[in-house]
Amino acid sequence: MTAMNILEVRDLATHFFTLDGVVRAVDGVSFDLARGETLGIVGESGCGKSVTALSILRLIPPETSRIVGGSVRFDGRDLAALSEAEMRAIRGHRIAMIFQEPMTSLNPVLTIGTQIAENVVRHTGVPWRAALDRAREMLDLVKIADARRRIEEYPHQLSGGMRQRAMIAIALSCNPQVLIADEPTTALDVTIQAQILDLMLELKEKLGTAIIMITHDLGVIAETAERVVVMYAGRKVEEAPVEALFAQPTHPYTRGLMHAVPRLDADAEIAGRRPRLQEIPGIVPALNRPIAGCAFAPRCGFATERCRAEAPPLVSTSAGHAVACWETARVLEAA
Amino acid sequence: MSDQPSLEVRDLVKHFPIHGGLLQRQTGAVQAVDGVSFAIRRGETLGLVGESGCGKSTVGKTVLKLLEPTSGQILIGGADVTHLSPRAMWPHRRRIQTVFQDPYSSLNPRLTAGTIVGEPLENFDIARGAEKEERAAALFQRVGLRREAMTRFTHEFSGGQRQRLGIAKALSVNPDVIVADEPVSALDVSVQAQVLNLLIDLQDEYRLAYLFISHDLAVMRHISHRIAVMYLGRIVELADKRALFSTPLHPYTEALLAAAPIPDPVRKRRGRVILKGDVPSPARPPSGCRFHTRCPYALPACRQDDPPLIEVAPGHHVACLRRPAGGDPVPLS
Repeated sequence: MTAMNILEVRDLATHFFTLDGVVRAVDGVSFDLARGETLGIVGESGCGKSVTALSILRLIPPETSRIVGGSVRFDGRDLAALSEAEMRAIRGHRIAMIFQEPMTSLNPVLTIGTQIAENVVRHTGVPWRAALDRAREMLDLVKIADARRRIEEYPHQLSGGMRQRAMIAIALSCNPQVLIADEPTTALDVTIQAQILDLMLELKEKLGTAIIMITHDLGVIAETAERVVVMYAGRKVEEAPVEALFAQPTHPYTRGLMHAVPRLDADAEIAGRRPRLQEIPGIVPALNRPIAGCAFAPRCGFATERCRAEAPPLVSTSAGHAVACWETARVLEAA
Repeated sequence: MSDQPSLEVRDLVKHFPIHGGLLQRQTGAVQAVDGVSFAIRRGETLGLVGESGCGKSTVGKTVLKLLEPTSGQILIGGADVTHLSPRAMWPHRRRIQTVFQDPYSSLNPRLTAGTIVGEPLENFDIARGAEKEERAAALFQRVGLRREAMTRFTHEFSGGQRQRLGIAKALSVNPDVIVADEPVSALDVSVQAQVLNLLIDLQDEYRLAYLFISHDLAVMRHISHRIAVMYLGRIVELADKRALFSTPLHPYTEALLAAAPIPDPVRKRRGRVILKGDVPSPARPPSGCRFHTRCPYALPACRQDDPPLIEVAPGHHVACLRRPAGGDPVPLS
């Protein structure tokens, strides 16, 4: 483990054991997170991006799922080898997480102040009074006005944007080294989303927290991430610095995603007609059957026999840019 | 008749009463829609955009007469349907159909896909028996579903396929107007593109009028011809798509456009105008201009004077005191 990386995920595989068979939700995913860096993980529903995050924190439901392979090293320690008590000391303290829907992840019967102070007391052991001071300080930090009054309020008394600020306040209350944000702005209106994203980036600068930003939204990725992992069907298909990813998307799936999104910053009409969006034909594969070859092959215009038979390894194409595709040369030629 | 708008709404108001106290008397009203007017021609898409609680979905439900309007007028192909009883509304129902956001909860899970699409044909006495089957099969093909899928139940379809099914059902009775409320918001982008393409093809083919409701500005820019921006129950700006995106005149439109993330890391916009605070409650909308509490350019007059929606350039309507008709606009910054 290099000292630069705070988190190293290697060949992570998480399976769900269902009546319909074994679902390979995460199927051998590796990535690093450098200290203070923002890493984006992007992909569509079911690609495994949330399960990856939950697996890092060992929060997947034990009745139905298990981490079947790989390792997660945090600050030099293998998280898989820790006891549940040791893991609890890391969650919410060294690695914190915020979720999409703040209403369901906040406790409705506790005040905001209590929920922040609880986390502070649990992890630092300071007296309750000091923890409440910390709670007020955190609400100021996330720019909730009138913190003195707000710490007495319950989640239902706050707007959606303020609830997400409160979630961020809880998550950052013990100065974590890593913040995992799973679709943190998806449930919010766009003007509120802008406020929350700006807040997260500002706090990252101020506190030096590394962020894993999980989202389906390429716009959010472009505005927040420094490096990006693209996932499809439980696998990493591309990884690149954000500028390189958008300047030269290389995996056919990444390209497909980028062309499928209508653009806000370009005129949609060509000679008065609305152009067709580029579709990605078909749908994502079911993950409860083993996928031989490249998972994207059935929807890919470049796919060959080899793609259907043999899974492509991740190959570096330029500095920091890696792609899992047999046909990279042809794809780049087609650009 | 042909120059009549397919759908016209005049000064539409929909208030929901709030009851409270011991006797459950009416103590107030949520002013969900408060004086909205627009018209949509054949073959045209009017986009209705705004954030949660702005009233855009209530407009959709009210023009479908799923909600009774408090006041105002709704005209379908020139015929006033505002106060028609459900029975009298029946012949007009065929002309206005809807596609909902969530294709999971809007399709009956106990019916086969073929029944779902064929049922309206029978209800409106358009076709029965073998002819109905034939028509339903043709609709399946038109929206990109296989004929064999007619015998399946909705849970066997993916999200995108369900939305195709919802579109086939809406199309089955040859409507003039389709109200589409966030029809692609629940879909992944790769599937979203398929459904948007289908909607555009069908519109061009049948010259359908769309009232397209969405919070997604990029989708709006792609599919709409004209766009109305709503805030707290009012239209604050209504313009041709091109004009709206190149020269937004209302400060709220400007803020919406600035806030939407753009998938281009080179254009990261730091220091953009970010609106402070939240949308006020539609039960207690602010006095004067409803946007003045969040407006970075608000004048003292904005607190008292409620600006009307006026046409400041051909086809470009805006409700802002800084944008008087016929006069020089007061500069924003």
